[in-house]
Amino acid sequence: MTRSDNRSISVTLAAATCSLLGGGIPAPVDAQEEPAWDFNTSLLYYGEDDDRVKDYSVSAIARRMFVDDRFLTIGLTVDVLTGATPNGAIKQDVPQTFTRPSGDGAYTVAAGELPLDDTFKDTRAAFTVSWQQPVGETSLINIGASASREYDYTHIGLNAKFARDFNRRNTTLSAGIALSMDSLDPVGGAPTPLTPMLDVGDKSNRRGDEDKDVLDIVVGVTQVVSRNLIVQANYSYSNSDGYLTDPYKVLSLVDSTTGDTLPRVPAPGAEGPSHQFLFENRPDDRTKHSIYGQAKYYMNGKVLDASYRFMTDDWEIDSHTVDLRYRIPFGADRYFEPHLRFYTQTEAEFYMLSISDSQPLPSFASADYRLGDFDAITLGIKYGWKTRNDNEMSVRVEGYRQTGSIPGNQIIGNQATRDNYPDLNAIIVQLGYRF
Amino acid sequence: MGSPCELICEARKRADALELSALVAAEAWRIEDKFSRYLDDNIVARINSAAGRPVDVDEETAALLDFAVTLYDLSERRFDITSGVLRRIWRFDGGDQVPSRQSVEDMLSLVGWHRVDWRRPELQMPGGMEIDLGGIGKEYAVDRCAALLREQGGSPCLINFGGDLVATEPPLRRRRWKAAVEGDEPDVPNRIIDLKIGALATSGDARRFLLKDGVRYSHILDPRTGWPVPDAPRSITIAADTCVQAGMISTLGMLKGAQAENFLSTQGVVFWCRR
Repeated sequence: MTRSDNRSISVTLAAATCSLLGGGIPAPVDAQEEPAWDFNTSLLYYGEDDDRVKDYSVSAIARRMFVDDRFLTIGLTVDVLTGATPNGAIKQDVPQTFTRPSGDGAYTVAAGELPLDDTFKDTRAAFTVSWQQPVGETSLINIGASASREYDYTHIGLNAKFARDFNRRNTTLSAGIALSMDSLDPVGGAPTPLTPMLDVGDKSNRRGDEDKDVLDIVVGVTQVVSRNLIVQANYSYSNSDGYLTDPYKVLSLVDSTTGDTLPRVPAPGAEGPSHQFLFENRPDDRTKHSIYGQAKYYMNGKVLDASYRFMTDDWEIDSHTVDLRYRIPFGADRYFEPHLRFYTQTEAEFYMLSISDSQPLPSFASADYRLGDFDAITLGIKYGWKTRNDNEMSVRVEGYRQTGSIPGNQIIGNQATRDNYPDLNAIIVQLGYRF
Repeated sequence: MGSPCELICEARKRADALELSALVAAEAWRIEDKFSRYLDDNIVARINSAAGRPVDVDEETAALLDFAVTLYDLSERRFDITSGVLRRIWRFDGGDQVPSRQSVEDMLSLVGWHRVDWRRPELQMPGGMEIDLGGIGKEYAVDRCAALLREQGGSPCLINFGGDLVATEPPLRRRRWKAAVEGDEPDVPNRIIDLKIGALATSGDARRFLLKDGVRYSHILDPRTGWPVPDAPRSITIAADTCVQAGMISTLGMLKGAQAENFLSTQGVVFWCRR
């Protein structure tokens, strides 16, 4: 039989079926084999202005579906980070020279410039795997593991989550636990805290590896309130124990009257810091408590997703986060989703702009801008659409602006004339493809 | 229908669901009562016991017979509603009881639509021959029930009569119905098909076969020879606009034996063929 003969069979059969069944012709069939794997991939660019951090990230999450709602999920993310990051020292009216973290070289920052360490380059690979399955009729268990590796940092983690539905599946209670065992192998060795930055080649205050353990516990409730509204509330506890200091961050040791960084002369013939800088030190324990509430409200195809988080910790950082997303569909398979996020935090109790030479050396000190008092706002939009083969594409563009301030009582002498906490602006562009 | 029949529907009210299921059950029983070859007081029994005398049939039976004739022609006499008598000598129970060549030859004298005189609405068939509409009936019943449900409008429904199924509308919350196609093991899905709307039908039954001297005989019989179709796939699942089309294309595919995939790939249908 030829091809055309074969083809005529289904045509003749369709006509015969029509006369057998008579009447209306049903809609054309739409069936496909359930994909055994589905993939969620994304490309992300995060770029801070003023040649600060840039992150190019590729990630893929593969999910294998098994019968009875069992899932295996595997994720892989590779980040390539470049650019410069503030090293913690304050601006000066003269150029400043620093020894690189490796201890094998030096870099100089121009007068009036915020000192940035431009050796910040890293590639990070992270891997996650998890297994989820129902337990009985109303419960669900998820167990997972994670690992990541970058040149100076290794993470290994385990996690488990249990959820149970009540009240005709309108209420879900969940509890989760995650353990993380991280080790740091800082370039050039972790410096002894609160010791001076030394000349190039002098590694007498460098130590070896460090590690930290993190325990996270979360309990939550999700409630279907009505056909249109679902709300969720969580409490989470997090304890970090071990080396929590940033080995690459320093503080400027300043004159108690002028506020200028004390000068320093490298050893004869040696290259080294032009001023006195002390490596930072943070407590080796941090406990955070946070509460989180989220509401998703559906109205005529539009979805408003609003959430709020309050976090407080024993470093005396309190933070508030408000996150709003509004998904607006148009047509059958396109949508816009504007996003607004506001964040504010108080400074850590040991945060200080600089260390004054008249005060006794504090036990803990950090000038890391991320531990300071700041506000941040993120404004963005996401556009998503369905491709012809029923896959999903999305583009997200967001702007981030962080503005910080230094408490007045920490500003000494000439420091008042300088912008000690410059604004940080970043843009985020993400392309997502789901198939 | 010789298999579990179910209706899954997403109705707004319990009463609506009960009404729809009553509608479907009534239609399924009507078709079962009218066309089952296991009953002795319906039209099929009258035709099969007429012993050579002509029988007048009603419109619906005539439409099914006309449809069977179309399939007989399309399949080059492989699809034949008079082939049911071959089951008297072929019992596909997983055993090794292969009938003798002679008994197959003898039985073939009672097989063949060409021996039947069909002049709508009158059918005359030599005594001893039988017709069996079981190869069409279940798919026909599913499509008839689907048409009744569509007339009622609204509620998305999935009708499943022993693996022949129709989705009238996509389910409201999930985007697709999930249909599991059984493999060799009962109740262990071989694949899962997402069905938004339309019909799925599967031919082939991995548990119905004979095994003798290392040769596996599928339960798909070729009425021209009286022997199982060689190299038939274990199962063929077809997605089509109606259950009748899906069921008939999967049956025609099985009858093609080793050529099943070649045949199916020219039919412009979505198919899954398992060897």
